[in-house]
Amino acid sequence: MKLVHRITIRISTVLLLLLTVWASIFYFILMDEINDETDDSLEDYSEQIITLALAGRQLPSENNGTNNSYFIRPVTNEYAAQHEGFRYSDEMVYIESKKETEPARILKTIFRNSNDQFFELTVAIPTIEKDDLQETILYWIIFLYLLLLVSIALVNFWILRQSFRPLYALLSWLRSYTIGQKIPVLSNSTKVEEFKRLNEAMLKTARRNAEMYEQQKLFIGHASHEIQTPLAVCKNRLELLMNDPELSEKQLKEILKTLEDLEHLVKLNRTLLLLTKIDNFQFQDTKTININDLTKKLLDDFNEVFAHQNIDVNIEESSILQPRMNETLSNILIRNLLKNAFVHNQEYGQVSVFIQKSELIVENSGQTRALPEEEIFKRFYQGSKKAGSTGLGLALVNSICKLYNIKREYTFNNDRHRFRLVFPASILI
Amino acid sequence: MKILIVEDEPSLKEIMERYLTQERYIVETAETYVDAMRKMEDYDYSCILLDIMLPDGSGLSLLKNLKALNKKDNVIIISAKDSVDDKVAGLELGADDYLTKPFDLSELNARIKSVIRRNQVGGQLSIVLGNVKLYPDKFEVHVNETPIELLRKEYDILHFFMIRPGYLVNKTNLAESVWGDHIDQVDNFDFIYAQIKNLRKKLKEAGASIEIKSVYGLGYRLIAE
Repeated sequence: MKLVHRITIRISTVLLLLLTVWASIFYFILMDEINDETDDSLEDYSEQIITLALAGRQLPSENNGTNNSYFIRPVTNEYAAQHEGFRYSDEMVYIESKKETEPARILKTIFRNSNDQFFELTVAIPTIEKDDLQETILYWIIFLYLLLLVSIALVNFWILRQSFRPLYALLSWLRSYTIGQKIPVLSNSTKVEEFKRLNEAMLKTARRNAEMYEQQKLFIGHASHEIQTPLAVCKNRLELLMNDPELSEKQLKEILKTLEDLEHLVKLNRTLLLLTKIDNFQFQDTKTININDLTKKLLDDFNEVFAHQNIDVNIEESSILQPRMNETLSNILIRNLLKNAFVHNQEYGQVSVFIQKSELIVENSGQTRALPEEEIFKRFYQGSKKAGSTGLGLALVNSICKLYNIKREYTFNNDRHRFRLVFPASILI
Repeated sequence: MKILIVEDEPSLKEIMERYLTQERYIVETAETYVDAMRKMEDYDYSCILLDIMLPDGSGLSLLKNLKALNKKDNVIIISAKDSVDDKVAGLELGADDYLTKPFDLSELNARIKSVIRRNQVGGQLSIVLGNVKLYPDKFEVHVNETPIELLRKEYDILHFFMIRPGYLVNKTNLAESVWGDHIDQVDNFDFIYAQIKNLRKKLKEAGASIEIKSVYGLGYRLIAE
């Protein structure tokens, strides 16, 4: 949900409640006022009639053009004493002229003539107009209220959108920035203090991250570089020592084991250096690589090396896959992908390779549970510890894929691990 | 044959010196740019092993100076940098070979022999051991001057042994050198055994005077009779 939408929805909800209360209050005040006016005219009318009645003059006829009606009846003194003043009520009244019963506002009052006789006057004004008025008022209130709500929402939406423009610019800038690459220019001029500060803070963070990333990269690079010479010396010394004829077989075996561990260290170091180089874009020269040929050649080699595992290998080519890549890197990419399929396989397992116009799929049997997709491409991830494994093979695959924008996927289906590389059109021939 | 080692790392320098002396070269060493320059000006060497990064200058400019002096010494650059640019720059300046640290001492020896042979007038580019001759440029092997048929892997294995005569070779090293990085997680080396068996058979049938001997539990050793 976008911020603008959220704010608009919240404001609308609050407004809905507020305006409902406001409209109700408005309606009741208005109706009260109207009743008040009606009652005033009822009073006037009753006074007029009482005056006429007391003066003994002719009372207005029932058919005087209005729907007003009145009725006078004598009452006892007790009744009069109990019902003093004006009494208002809403009742249904039969209107002679219309010959039907209508709702009316009724006023009842007591008056006394010169003979000390008490009379009760009932005056009625039909409230047909009042009903209409109520309806109209209600209708308009609802209509205006909805109109107001919509306009407020729209104005709000537009204002928020305008005000948050620097925020969206900053967000799209953040999205365009990947660590390890050049920081893109942030052109996001704004007069709003908060956004200015946010811009500065983001730029500063990006720069600091880039710097730390660079330092870390340099450190790994330097460290593996510096380690090379001492490693070489250790290895060479052991090699010389191994050819000393005075050594016993037991000693020789120990030296050999140490040498193997050293080899492992050399390999680890070499791979780390390689990763650093890939991340530093040090493999610039490219040529057209025939992935089909490369895959077949490597499969032959692996077949030979893993012959004792009796792995069933098959390859299906529906097209020639020919990207433009660095030769060394393409070799490392395919080799590590295939090696992974062989090393983590089982006896009498299968390796299937599918090559399409822009895709390479490697499937293999192996342990019967899915691996965590995001973990396996990280450095030093090892599902199960294998002797001699550096845990860097798929990290290399990952780095190379990132370099060439190759999409890499891992899925686990029918007890088969499936690695899929989708080459982007930009590097395909 | 005289060899000059230009290397500032004392431990590496010492081990190279010891090994090459053992291989019957006359070895001299230099640790700095200035030292190396003086020795190069004053003497001629069969081969100079040149480290690129020296504390007081670059090995590459040392190489430039050497060529400017019109010296014909063979030069093998030894560097911890495995970058193509450096390799190309070094070879363009007239270096004969380029070796990346870390390297096998036997590999170093093979390269030294190779560059010296290459620059000898009428010299053959072959590695000779007993009655077996291996031509690295042509990928050919002759026994008693008669060529024998070897498969690619068999040839690679023989080459590996020929430049390490008498040295104990462990299976991992051999496999990695011949099969490349594929084998680094393999725990079964039967495939090596199969290849070596075939190679032995072919050598024996051709009457070769060398033999690849198994050293139980350790690896192999090439013995010349």
